[in-house]
Amino acid sequence: MLLEIDHLNVRYEKAVLINDLSMGVDTGELVSLVGPNGAGKSTSLRAITGLVAWEREIKRRSTAGEIHIEGKVTFDGQRIDHVPAHEIVRMGLVLCPERRRPFREMTVLENLMAGAYLQKDKKKNQDTLSKVYDLFPVLKERSKQISGTLSGGEQQMLAIGRAFMSDPKLLCIDEPSTGLAPKTRAEVFEKILQINRLGITILLVEQEVSTVFKMTKRNYVLSSGKIIAQGTGEELMEDEIIRKTYLGL
Amino acid sequence: MNIIITGLITGSMLALLAIGFSLIFGVARIVNIAHTAFYMVAGYIIYYLSIRLGLNVILSMLIAVVAVTLLGLLAYKFLIDPIREHELAVMIATIALALIFQEVTLQIFTGDYLSVYFLIKGYFIIGGNKVFYQQLLTFGVVLVILLVIWFLLMKTRLGLAIRSTAEDREVANLMGMNESRLAMITLGISVALAGVTGAVIVPLAVLSPYMWTEPLILMMAVVVLGGLGSIKGSFVAAYILGFTEALVTFLIPAGAFLKGPVALSIMILVLLIRPEGLFGIAFEEER
Repeated sequence: MLLEIDHLNVRYEKAVLINDLSMGVDTGELVSLVGPNGAGKSTSLRAITGLVAWEREIKRRSTAGEIHIEGKVTFDGQRIDHVPAHEIVRMGLVLCPERRRPFREMTVLENLMAGAYLQKDKKKNQDTLSKVYDLFPVLKERSKQISGTLSGGEQQMLAIGRAFMSDPKLLCIDEPSTGLAPKTRAEVFEKILQINRLGITILLVEQEVSTVFKMTKRNYVLSSGKIIAQGTGEELMEDEIIRKTYLGL
Repeated sequence: MNIIITGLITGSMLALLAIGFSLIFGVARIVNIAHTAFYMVAGYIIYYLSIRLGLNVILSMLIAVVAVTLLGLLAYKFLIDPIREHELAVMIATIALALIFQEVTLQIFTGDYLSVYFLIKGYFIIGGNKVFYQQLLTFGVVLVILLVIWFLLMKTRLGLAIRSTAEDREVANLMGMNESRLAMITLGISVALAGVTGAVIVPLAVLSPYMWTEPLILMMAVVVLGGLGSIKGSFVAAYILGFTEALVTFLIPAGAFLKGPVALSIMILVLLIRPEGLFGIAFEEER
């Protein structure tokens, strides 16, 4: 397994956000994590990429409530549950965050270079950049544009492109389709498939279950911070309870 | 002519101070009230080294900038960093720090007005007014430093990381940027800028232990007018306020006493009419 999560628990004061979560992603896979709103999908991604621990460090210095995080996370054969977020990126576990969050005041190219912050090899950087431009021609056209002025779909492409610049082995993408028009959604999903075909493992968090199940071979269903089912899209859709209660279809 | 020269010099000084102040606020949300106190300390160090110890003035300036930067980093490490997430506490702590600097200076140098010699003597006359070479030198040096800062922020990897962290420190983290280290580096740059301001202005200014309060108010007005966290805004607003101050001082009888009130009025007006300032960003809700 490239990524292995073993009995992960996250609590914000008394609220249990992640409850004994265990799951894994193999090299080359495209795996989805689906589930209703507030199931803890984003929190799971934030926990494995070190952001929950980072937030805990910050809150510890202020009066806000205590955050607890327990469990074992292994990536590429190494324990990462005590590695700070900015070091985890270096190992090749990269998160493309929810709501895209481009650096709005910077140009598209500057955003992409920010993604490549840790890559010191200039030639390799140029190669990665041209790969990103091949994937998203629109980013090349707009490379000098201030990214705050891009459309929602373009900002999502930029966010994915920026994460791609960090040279991921495993790319976690959090809700890329939110707030996009159906046509743009389809385009974004198509790009994610293309990235996967380039050999990059993908863990995709989504609400748009019907499309996602056509792309993936394996899925996890999360509810109230617990994995309640896993399998192929078809298997999950066959189970009436899961389909109606958790996937809302 | 006097108005233009005073405006340019005051504006340049304010630009340097305000950019430093804005930088560390943008990156770490630290409101450093002691910012101008560092500038004062630099002035006194230069005075002490060059006048009392008789060192070369330029060497004294370099030592002063380095010393003030180190002082700033120490203050960050032991005073600001432990309470960094409480923004108000940081503000109170830095007020205390400024007062400590003031009292220590008062003890060592007494409250007497002191001054340092011009680096280059002489002047020329334009339109019946004396323009000292020192004034030109100060202005020139400020422009060079502003250029260096612009280059650092816009064209280097460190600058990219500083700007990223200023915009969204969580996402910057996801790009592998170590935000607490960047906060420290930025604080160093910010305080170094305060020190440099002290160095370039000291031949033209009079040193006193209370000299940090007036530029503090003006600097705050600049930062508010330009938009918090906006470097470009600080730059433009600094010259607007620099010239306003020069106009008030020269055109209104006893106008020198009105400098503070005018700056504060501008600040209040901006806050009422356009709180985000000239180039500011309306802050988006942080997660």
